[in-house]
Amino acid sequence: MHETNEPLGADSGRAARVRRSSQMFGGKPVLQFRTETSRRGFIAGAALVGVGATFVAFNRNDPRAFADAGGDIDILNYALTLEYLEAEFYTQGISGNVLTDERELELVSPIRDHEQAHVDGISQLITDLGGTPVESPTFMFPEGTFTDRDVFLETASMFEELGVQAYHGQVALISDVQILGTAAAIAGVESRHAAVVADLIGGAPFPAPFEANLPVEDVLAAAGQFIES
Amino acid sequence: MYTRKNLIRDAGLVIPGAIALTMLGSKFAFADDGDFESPLDVLNYALTLEYLEAEFYRQGNDAGLLTGKAAEYFATIQTDEETHVMTLQDTIASLGGAAVPAPMVDFGESFASEESYLETAYTFENLGVQAYLGAAPSLFQEKELLTAAASIFGVEARHAAIIGVLQNKPAEGGVYQGALETALARADVLEAASPFIVSAETL
Repeated sequence: MHETNEPLGADSGRAARVRRSSQMFGGKPVLQFRTETSRRGFIAGAALVGVGATFVAFNRNDPRAFADAGGDIDILNYALTLEYLEAEFYTQGISGNVLTDERELELVSPIRDHEQAHVDGISQLITDLGGTPVESPTFMFPEGTFTDRDVFLETASMFEELGVQAYHGQVALISDVQILGTAAAIAGVESRHAAVVADLIGGAPFPAPFEANLPVEDVLAAAGQFIES
Repeated sequence: MYTRKNLIRDAGLVIPGAIALTMLGSKFAFADDGDFESPLDVLNYALTLEYLEAEFYRQGNDAGLLTGKAAEYFATIQTDEETHVMTLQDTIASLGGAAVPAPMVDFGESFASEESYLETAYTFENLGVQAYLGAAPSLFQEKELLTAAASIFGVEARHAAIIGVLQNKPAEGGVYQGALETALARADVLEAASPFIVSAETL
């Protein structure tokens, strides 16, 4: 167990994520973004108290934050599991023609390709490092996920924000600089996805000035409801 | 004609449209070993780029070129960049360092039209993504700073993607730059930014 690496140090951000998580646990994922008013309030607060001071203080010399690194291969297999979930989700959605708007399809189809590329690339990387890539779990998506455009994109938004937070939660735990670079290169793409999907559903493409992060157990708890076995 | 805007645009377009996955695990165009003297040097480098962006959006948004959703999004982007500036300044101070002053900037014809504003913004954001990724290894030993820099990097990627959407750019190669972000070394970033920087202490 380790503490959430909390770069924002702001109650508003944490509360927003707790809200979001509890909704994910509720079964039907509905992403609740922070309101613009609370966002502006947070920024004003951050400027005054100094987010930077929090950056420096938030886990320096805190062994709890880094004690459970578990090795880069474990981290890569964790990432691989999330990428399997996303790749399967988008593959089913796009092959099921849930998106009919031409521009929406154009914007979301590359996301499927990216997630599949992440699956392939991370699997290869694990193998190259002498590890064994985990098998894909069997996934189960709620009724309506691939027949209702809104449900599909709201679920997509939840997955993308979760993926961003998952990668950012591992940044400090990766022990090899090249693997860090690879993970960061993927994380940036997940951020692009998150923003684009948020825009499509009228959400907030820029929910905060900093990406949030989540520890493994929280991410897997959120993703677990979609894992059948 | 080779205007300032074209210079930075061309430099920004070293981003390949599609990145081969064989790059996974191979060497990135990360910062050279000699690129940065210290974590503080990296933070001041990031601060310089954030100053540039924050001032760019301040001037551009003041010019009133955008309406509707684009104007709303750009107001938020401006605030994000200003927050990054303040945060980096504060972090540098917390580490006992001295934050570099803001560079003198000249954005040329960037605010001549909505199109030129969006295109320059798009270039800046994609450049910022590449700059942060390129500098990340130089913060590798400083885990809290690394996490912080990564958290800014992700937001720059969001900005880059949404500006591409606002411009109605093609999804792949416009909104997205492939399945992996690419890194750019310091010298290349500064070369791309230099047309807009009249003078700066750290460059």
